[in-house]
Amino acid sequence: MSADFLYGLLPDHLLLALMLLLMVLEMARVDARWARPVFVGAVGAALAVLLQQIAAGYSAEIVAGEIRIDRFALLAKAVLLGCGLAIALGFAARGGWKFWLLLASMLLGAMLVMGSAGFASFFIGIELLSLPAFALMVQGQGGTVATEGAFKYLLMSSVGTALLLFGISLAYGSTGSLAIAALAPALGGGGAQPQAAVLLVLCGLFLKAAVFPFHAWAPDAYASTRLEVTAVLASVVKAGVVLALVRIVLDVQLGVATTALVAPLAIASIVFGNLAALGQRRFKRLLAYSSVAHAGYMIFALADSTGSRSSDLLWYTAFYAGATVLASACYALLCPGDGDELDALDGQFHHHPLAALGLAFALLSLAGLPPFPGFFAKLFIFTSVIGSGHLVAAVLAFVGSFLGLAVYLGLVLRLFRAESPSAAGGRSAPAAQAGA
Amino acid sequence: MSEALFMPLSLPLLLGLAVVGAVLVAPLRAGALPRAFTLGLMALMLLLAGTVFLAFDGADAPGRHALDLAWMPALGIRLHFAVDGLNVYLLLLTTLLFPVVLACSWQRAEAQSPLYLSLLLALQAGLLGTFLAQDLVLFFVCWEAVLIPMVLLLLVYGGAERRRAALGFFLYTMAGSVLFLAAVIVLGVVQHRQTGNWSFDIATLAALRLGGRTQLFVFGAIVLACAVKSPLFPFHSWLPLAYGEASPAGTALMAGVMSKMGAYGLLKLALPLAPDAAQRLAPLMVALAAVSIVYGAVLALRQTNYKQLVAYASLSHMGYIVLGVFSFQATALHGVMFQILSHGVAVAGIFLLLGLLEERRGPVWLQLDALATRAPRLAVVLMLFVLASLALPLSSGFTAEFLILLGAFTQGLAAWAAGAGAGLLVAALAASLGVVLGATYMLRLARVLVFGDAGPPAARVPLADLGARELAALALPLALILWVGIWPASLMPKTEAALAPLVAIGARAVPGRTPAAPLTAAAVPAAGVPR
Repeated sequence: MSADFLYGLLPDHLLLALMLLLMVLEMARVDARWARPVFVGAVGAALAVLLQQIAAGYSAEIVAGEIRIDRFALLAKAVLLGCGLAIALGFAARGGWKFWLLLASMLLGAMLVMGSAGFASFFIGIELLSLPAFALMVQGQGGTVATEGAFKYLLMSSVGTALLLFGISLAYGSTGSLAIAALAPALGGGGAQPQAAVLLVLCGLFLKAAVFPFHAWAPDAYASTRLEVTAVLASVVKAGVVLALVRIVLDVQLGVATTALVAPLAIASIVFGNLAALGQRRFKRLLAYSSVAHAGYMIFALADSTGSRSSDLLWYTAFYAGATVLASACYALLCPGDGDELDALDGQFHHHPLAALGLAFALLSLAGLPPFPGFFAKLFIFTSVIGSGHLVAAVLAFVGSFLGLAVYLGLVLRLFRAESPSAAGGRSAPAAQAGA
Repeated sequence: MSEALFMPLSLPLLLGLAVVGAVLVAPLRAGALPRAFTLGLMALMLLLAGTVFLAFDGADAPGRHALDLAWMPALGIRLHFAVDGLNVYLLLLTTLLFPVVLACSWQRAEAQSPLYLSLLLALQAGLLGTFLAQDLVLFFVCWEAVLIPMVLLLLVYGGAERRRAALGFFLYTMAGSVLFLAAVIVLGVVQHRQTGNWSFDIATLAALRLGGRTQLFVFGAIVLACAVKSPLFPFHSWLPLAYGEASPAGTALMAGVMSKMGAYGLLKLALPLAPDAAQRLAPLMVALAAVSIVYGAVLALRQTNYKQLVAYASLSHMGYIVLGVFSFQATALHGVMFQILSHGVAVAGIFLLLGLLEERRGPVWLQLDALATRAPRLAVVLMLFVLASLALPLSSGFTAEFLILLGAFTQGLAAWAAGAGAGLLVAALAASLGVVLGATYMLRLARVLVFGDAGPPAARVPLADLGARELAALALPLALILWVGIWPASLMPKTEAALAPLVAIGARAVPGRTPAAPLTAAAVPAAGVPR
């Protein structure tokens, strides 16, 4: 028991130690340049422990009924730590010690959720994940725009929390226990109360994941803060919340009524997110609407009844978080400074070919174009969904993803746009004159 | 013994050279070195593919030229490439055209750019992957992967309207592919339900028993993707702009090889995977093919820009392929295979020569005339490609179109005699009209461009004739044109076995329609070429 407590939760302990260390170092007035290496070292160590646990097929019940480490928990934690590491490697954060402290706390919260077997630790983890995000958004920025976006996030997030709590109390009322595993049999037994409990919990998490029509906070929140924080919102928060959804429903088959609610929401999210992204002129807003669309694909996997939901979503969140962080990091390289107009991308391929190709790779991946990784992530989800008999819904979602293609392709085209006729390259110049 | 060692390695080597080449060339510094390196790679690949082509006799053991590795075991997706009767011509066509295209754009500035060369190699890898893939997911991945280098070639090295052309081309093709992916997944899911394990192997999927509605969906989705790519009327509206705006190399590859992906998709996927739907919808497809042939020809007649003329001619010629495919008749299918080869090399040759003219003369090349006097070698080579394109006997175009029309007429007459309607017969008649129109517009191009009065020698603006490098490069496709035109019987055994199952589809009884008298390969002499 105590050995498991030490070894099974070693990644979480490492993050806790990291937070303490960061606090102490800040108090000791150590130069803030050291924050990133310390963070990378600790998170990398935690990830190494996780990989070792995955390779050994480790599983344990650490706190009876509350904290359990199983394969899904290990993989999900690895995905989250991967996001954290990618952000640390992709951005030179301007927030100093506090940025890394808050990020570590969010990672810890998300990891707590993944290992939770009961609603108490689940709820604590979710709050530990979403509250520091608010601090992260306002930290280091005096501007009113930032506070406005952050307050929208805080308000909507607390509504989500309220829904979640209400759902949890209903679940407790109907099963008499706080164990997540107890909810599924109660759901199968019928009755309105377990149904309502699941529905409220789902709605609370949908709100935090910015699924249409609960998405209204996302564009302002994403756009008002710094790019690295936007990347955190789109990767760590999104992956944490979606994987939390999986933690609750895992591979349990949802009822017909729930599926009938989830599939239209997913399609609406995909179509709306992509349509709205089509008209954006700013990168962060585009990321926000793209995250709405991708939240749609993710909850689409909940309609699956073939039992491959958890692996599909692990792939999808990993790909999505990775692609978003890569896109943001490349954008930051291409267009340093606080502006985020898309016009700044025009013709960047001719100035920074590597970063432009990285951005193009990430964007085409987000678009789901084969042979990029995003295609396979989508392929897995669509295979499960069609395998569960939702062909019409899947075709509608395909049509929605075609809209997304136009969004991302438009961005890639910008990268290759020639700025002036002389930059158009050698032989095409006469043709350009002929056209004129 | 050495062959036994070499053959299993040839495909991995072929694909590996293209992929590794694309990666290796990209970081090189611009200049003559990457250009020579790429041409060397392409020549090596042609050599490899040529060996495989000559050694392939149609009756091979399936695993002789194959690469089969597990890729995603959870879904039964395999990395499976193999040469078979359907793709052996395309293997030759693809590897043949790339070095020719590069040699003909040798002097252009972009040929020194590593990005351009890397894109060419990536495009070649994607095309070869599509043609050789035996796994449906792999096929789809390669099919889409072709799009990216093609769009980038269009976007970075195209003409003035290139952004509009690239966006239109991309969105059009992707719209065609959206349902295709759904069909791929549906087939995999049905396979999983019927047998309990996942597999996307095309041959395995073809053995499934699909319901009527599923077949219709699968067929419709695949045909839509192929019809956009080919293109087929009414899905052709991206074509004039894309063909017009791409660089000569890009246009030659688009018209020569990429359009064949659509034809190949019909043969490889649409017919075997959804045979009942294919047979039921054959009249519609034949009608669309006939409209494509005539409509493309009429539009080509009215063009004053030569590139647009050849673009619409290409639409017309691709119509023959679809007509031949949906005749379900051995002779016509042989014609289809030859048309794939013949149109590929002929149209690529014409576009390359027009590109050379544009390169030599700049934007005023459209006013050029009397090439026969100014640049006799260029004029002769152009004339040869034009004659192949208008199906002059002894050229490959004649073999192909004659076989297609012969097959379609035979099948149409049989269907008519059996009381199954005169649709195919009417379509074949309309297609014959297309041959006449084809001769008209092609000869008009030749008359204006090649002949005419060049004026007194003193007043002529000098025009460089074809150099030795360009002549040597263009001799390859010309040799192929003559080979197919003069001695097609030497090639037919390579495809015979692979076409037989497609012929059988047309002979199957379908409820609600009287089957036409089955015409098997034995009923028509294999060397069905008149003297």
